[in-house]
Amino acid sequence: MATRAPRKALEAVPAPVTGARLVVEALEREGVRHLFGYPGGAIMPVYDALPGSKLQHILVRHEQGAALAADAYGRVTGQPGVCIATSGPGATNLVTGIANAFLDSVPLVAITGQVATPLIGTDAFQEVDIFGITLPIVKHSFVIRRTEDIPQVFADAFRIARSGRPGPVLIDLPKDMGVKAVVPAEIRPHVEAVEAPEAALIAEANALIAEARAPILYFGGGIAIARAERALRAFAARAGIPSVATLKGLGGIPTDDAAFLGMLGMHGMRAANIAIDNCDLLICIGARFDDRATGKADTFAPNARIIHLDGDAAEIGKLRRADVGIAGDIVQAMDLLTAIPRCAAWRDQCLRQKAMWAMDYDAPGNGVYAPALLKTLSEAAPDNTIFTCDVGQHQMWVAQHCRFSRPQAHLTSAGLGTMGYGIPAGIGALLADPSATVITVSGDGSIMMNIQELATIRRYRLPLKIVLLDNAQLGMVRQWQELFFDRNFSEIDLSDNPDFAEVARAFGIEAFTIDHRSEVAGAVARLLGTNGPILCHVRIDPRENVWPLVPPNSSNVEMMEKAR
Amino acid sequence: MSGRIQVDFDAAEGAVLRMLGLVERRGFVVSVMTMAAREGRGSLSLDVDARDPGRSLDVVARQLRRLQEVRNVSTSSSDRGAS
Ligand SMILES: Cc1ncc(C[n+]2csc(CCOP(=O)(O)OP(=O)(O)O)c2C)c(N)n1
Repeated sequence: MATRAPRKALEAVPAPVTGARLVVEALEREGVRHLFGYPGGAIMPVYDALPGSKLQHILVRHEQGAALAADAYGRVTGQPGVCIATSGPGATNLVTGIANAFLDSVPLVAITGQVATPLIGTDAFQEVDIFGITLPIVKHSFVIRRTEDIPQVFADAFRIARSGRPGPVLIDLPKDMGVKAVVPAEIRPHVEAVEAPEAALIAEANALIAEARAPILYFGGGIAIARAERALRAFAARAGIPSVATLKGLGGIPTDDAAFLGMLGMHGMRAANIAIDNCDLLICIGARFDDRATGKADTFAPNARIIHLDGDAAEIGKLRRADVGIAGDIVQAMDLLTAIPRCAAWRDQCLRQKAMWAMDYDAPGNGVYAPALLKTLSEAAPDNTIFTCDVGQHQMWVAQHCRFSRPQAHLTSAGLGTMGYGIPAGIGALLADPSATVITVSGDGSIMMNIQELATIRRYRLPLKIVLLDNAQLGMVRQWQELFFDRNFSEIDLSDNPDFAEVARAFGIEAFTIDHRSEVAGAVARLLGTNGPILCHVRIDPRENVWPLVPPNSSNVEMMEKAR
Repeated sequence: MSGRIQVDFDAAEGAVLRMLGLVERRGFVVSVMTMAAREGRGSLSLDVDARDPGRSLDVVARQLRRLQEVRNVSTSSSDRGAS
């Protein structure tokens, strides 16, 4: 008996584990299946611990691709996407993707290697203060100072990234912290407090709704964040209120719903902007009065009372005073908004405007008209399709002409407007939801920003369908120079771009080119019928513009239209 | 708009930089700053002036409350006529 007791005590002491292994275990504990990254010196201990784990590492060809793919992964799954890079240039290459996730409130965890603790602050090889660099673009960030803390820091990072208004969290891991073996500290449980909406505010909101004769629902990215589509659709249908969406809100209510008036704002539908201009009650749900949506702020919904529902209390009253502001769980709040306005006449008026200002797909000539192509493609694509896009005219055409039946079907860099988002986002979306048909719509400027990720598509045999709308120009910049800078065209010519179909083939990806509208039906069938990755290079008229358009510093009703 | 922002916070790495950065980025100039931290808790007091009339102390207070380390924020306006 006397000899057994000490052995038992010895067995009870857990064996020390390296920091790198603790990182891998923490990721497994969080249910992470994929992480997007690129190795290098300071992060090598973590890469050493990856083989044999449950994690599939996706080796991108540039760290920006890793961060943007993780962003899309986060948008589709609602759980933090994870990217990982080494210190110095690896970390700085993640910055655009982190900012992208920050501005669009996407759950993301970015792990960066750092030089060993004794070298921090000595300008060591590949040392940058990534913690400092990213302070304004993260929801939170950590530097690992004790290996023992790794499990707790990772648990906190994932919780913070996904909770409330989601966002990116950075974990900077000095090399020695990953090498050292320790017995980790226990993880403290965290209890999330969910506040029910205040009954008095709900009553006030219901009173405003009951009084309204011309109400509009204006919803944004907060619907996707709160997975609030059911509540939004039920509220809109119950109250009979027409709706408009921001770029990020598209799909919250299916875009083909009869009482959905379209996207509002700079490239929105005229009927949507007119409705906002004339409404007497604006019910803003999960949107933030962003300048791209409101145009000149003091002319936005000039005669309306405002009800503002948002998951983030800091958004309420930030840019527009709310008559009733309800912060917290927007699903609960919407379910409690049961008042019914008497607005049948107004609704009819909105629907008449919608019909009157419907998009026109007639275009002169035989060239491919991009809006018509996107409409045809989106109508032919299955319901589980996810569109990802880059930034520019093609991005606005996707928003205007594709149909979306859920917000996760449209992955777009709305807040940051990151050229180069499209292909990495396509990669992230396919890994997050392998059953989805994923289509990336890109421009000939944007695609070059992350073209190297064609190699990633090829390596993992990801069946991404890429539609490249090639106007041989930075089209959106050209449009602004034409309209607002006296046609002083400056640095927008891309006519020396490579042959993109050849480029794709060089990466081992099937590709073809079209330039005539008679080829569109065949191209759509080929794109949708191909099992592997494929790129359709579409030459379009370089003079085409995105219409309608609200000029800068103008009211949303001062829209410029295409000459009919 | 001018006024004072007082914050109680958990003294974690980067907390002060985060708070100061937020206040400056969101349109306020800091003219006086006092700070103390011990035993894991800190307090920060900032006298601020808004860069333009569109800035509100109330909004910046709510933005500060979103920071993970921030426990409590109070503001007082020093503008004439303000309550
Ligand atoms: C990384 C980055 N750099 C610059 C810009 C500014 N910008 C916005 S749209 C645009 C042109 C995009 O050209 P392209 O991808 O060919 O699309 P198009 O407008 O022609 O459809 C530019 C340069 C940006 N949004 N992102």
